[in-house]
Amino acid sequence: MTDLTLTELASAIAARKVSAVEATQACLDRIARLDGRLHAFLTVDAPGALARARSLDADLASGTRRGPLHGVPLAYKDLFHVVGLPTSCGTKTTEYFRSDHDSTAVARLTAAGAVTLGKLNMTELALGPFGDNPHHGNVDNPWKAGCISGGSSSGSGAAVAAQLAFGALGSDTGGSIRLPAACCGIVGLKPTYGRVSRAGAMALSWALDHLGPMTRTVGDCALMFELIAGHDPRDGTSSRRPVPAVLAGLDAPLSGLRLGLPENYYFDGVTPEVKAAVEAAARGLQARGARVAPLRLPDPAGIVDVCNVLARAESAVIHSRVLRERPHELGAAVRARLEIGLHVSAHDYLQAGRLRARLAREFVGEVFGEVDAILTPAIPEPPPELAAVTAGAVEEIVRRMGRFSRLTRPFNGLGLPVLAVPCGMSSDGRPLGLQIVGRPFDEATIFRLGQAVEQASPRRALRD
Amino acid sequence: MSEPGPAKSSPAQADIAAMAGAIERAAADLALTEEPSNFEVALERGAPRD
Repeated sequence: MTDLTLTELASAIAARKVSAVEATQACLDRIARLDGRLHAFLTVDAPGALARARSLDADLASGTRRGPLHGVPLAYKDLFHVVGLPTSCGTKTTEYFRSDHDSTAVARLTAAGAVTLGKLNMTELALGPFGDNPHHGNVDNPWKAGCISGGSSSGSGAAVAAQLAFGALGSDTGGSIRLPAACCGIVGLKPTYGRVSRAGAMALSWALDHLGPMTRTVGDCALMFELIAGHDPRDGTSSRRPVPAVLAGLDAPLSGLRLGLPENYYFDGVTPEVKAAVEAAARGLQARGARVAPLRLPDPAGIVDVCNVLARAESAVIHSRVLRERPHELGAAVRARLEIGLHVSAHDYLQAGRLRARLAREFVGEVFGEVDAILTPAIPEPPPELAAVTAGAVEEIVRRMGRFSRLTRPFNGLGLPVLAVPCGMSSDGRPLGLQIVGRPFDEATIFRLGQAVEQASPRRALRD
Repeated sequence: MSEPGPAKSSPAQADIAAMAGAIERAAADLALTEEPSNFEVALERGAPRD
């Protein structure tokens, strides 16, 4: 049963072919069987999940369907607050983050009928792209043991790919949804800045944080997006813009859509296999009616500098207490990255914010006058071996982190919506992923393109 | 107790100096009217027309 998509399961439950209890128990059984290797979960709330599933089955028996996710088991990165469950944010401190409310995104999924299976492993404080964690275990790649799962939403990527949950939530400050999605062969959305409320989730950088869904199919991702997006008075950065019905337009024709393949930066240093897979996806979109053309993008160096200043300054402020009082509890690379932020001046921080405004305006004006979306690799290489990327001095590890996330980070600074979609496998069975970048608040177009990529590159079944 | 942070002349100090230099150069010709909240304005104005 766990090989059903989220959408298929929701339909099966609504048709009373499967019960919420059966679906939840199937996930719990799979977690018990596989998570010893994967380390995807930090907290499994079996009693809570089964009680909730029983209650939802009773509702359905009496004619009440709570919403589109009625009875569907989901799990959440351990920086989303869920009342009654601890939120470690991947640190050694079990209750690092406290809140009186469920995070808004979780509350909206719960209101739509979802069952909460538990909380998912992550890179400590969401700082790092590899999925390693010195306190809770490294999240393994479901497709290739010993390779990275991607981070920081590592548990979310692995749990969804390994069918331990039907969908998950992640957070993305520099690629932390898209990198694990690409490494684990699943779909992940970083929505437009302001589109999904961040209330009730741990912050890493107020300027760059985005929350979004991670699923096995584009359709599942679109469904979760529709449910969690939209204005929230609890988040001051939340946009009041109406959320489009993205699901309804998923299969709309691509004719007339203009797609840009970057000539600069985004294919530099990318392995031939990744490059070939992204170009093949572009040809597939062209065959479906999209117009694909090479495109020179504004040099991302400026926005990357801005991201570095904003992320380092804000993360050091947000986590100053642990840095000041319990620095020995932090992993070496995380501590080194946070400490740099203590030395960013107010002058540079504010200048970075002003620069960001100009760079975003210029990018949107120049690029989206020419194309409707951009196609790039999400990761520069297939997921590498964890032991290789975490070896050596801290400075070298931090440099590798920067290289691995170089394709995703610019779009956090620009605030644009980006969908990560699988685009095949390497010759030795590791997932490859691309990203589709859209104009602000145009998630509908990138979902539509993602759906076409998925249809041209069918999902492969994961063998346990 | 000393303030947590990178030791003088460490690679981290070099990173901080490089970041500051890059921002200073890029910001040299920013318009007086530019402010951080213009970022959200840019996103709203770049959205598809309904």
